[in-house]
Amino acid sequence: LSVSGASRSLTIAAKAESLGAVTEFVRKGAREASLPEERIGQVDLLIDELITNICIHAYRGDMPGDVTVTYSVPAPGELSVEVADQGAEFNPLKAEPPDLTSSLEARPIGGLGIHLVKTFAASLTYRRDQGWNRLTFGISASP
Amino acid sequence: MQPQQNDKSALNIERAQVYDHVVLIVSGRMDAENAPQFEEKCNVCMAEGCTTLVVDLGGLTYVSSMGLRSFLSVAKTLQSKGGALRLCCLKGLVKQVFEITGLMQVLSVYESVESAIPRG
Repeated sequence: LSVSGASRSLTIAAKAESLGAVTEFVRKGAREASLPEERIGQVDLLIDELITNICIHAYRGDMPGDVTVTYSVPAPGELSVEVADQGAEFNPLKAEPPDLTSSLEARPIGGLGIHLVKTFAASLTYRRDQGWNRLTFGISASP
Repeated sequence: MQPQQNDKSALNIERAQVYDHVVLIVSGRMDAENAPQFEEKCNVCMAEGCTTLVVDLGGLTYVSSMGLRSFLSVAKTLQSKGGALRLCCLKGLVKQVFEITGLMQVLSVYESVESAIPRG
């Protein structure tokens, strides 16, 4: 675990047990950006879904790896967070949107995480960069 | 320390009986790590013969998609047994997450414990 104050980034093992530390780290950024309490819950959820995705899709099975989370406050009331990993190329923005109208019997139990990310993030971009998956989301204090 | 930080990763599930019905009172945060606890509690109730479960989510402050999986999975199992999962008292972020994912339409969701308890 390493925290760099200047770049405000945290590198940590990509696994469920790391989620608490990453959440705490990004909350610092949320407080620096003066996001209201309601938004901080949404930031927790964005981080949770993205880290869970990396654990499932980027580092599959017994292929462990790290995740680097970097935040910045581009303007008061705005938080930008990049979540980067070196796992298999995976662009969650290309995932098929879930059918939100199907009946309980027909409903698959997965596929809702990225839908939540797309809804809560004010901006969302993905790029594959020399072996890295880099997903960046923005969230702002105003609706 | 804020109360929210005290229970940051904890999920609490209490069990109550209202007339013939089991009510699970769920509070705290539900994520990938602890959602299986909820499914286990439900499985215990089902093993005892419950086909309809009322779940009070009034104290739940956070749910991720892994928590939603658990609700869907339990609801499907109960429905296949001719029963239902009846959720109530959703608020804040949890209610928002259910609305965004369309689960308010697909699951049985009630305003209060009283209205969630089956009558007759």
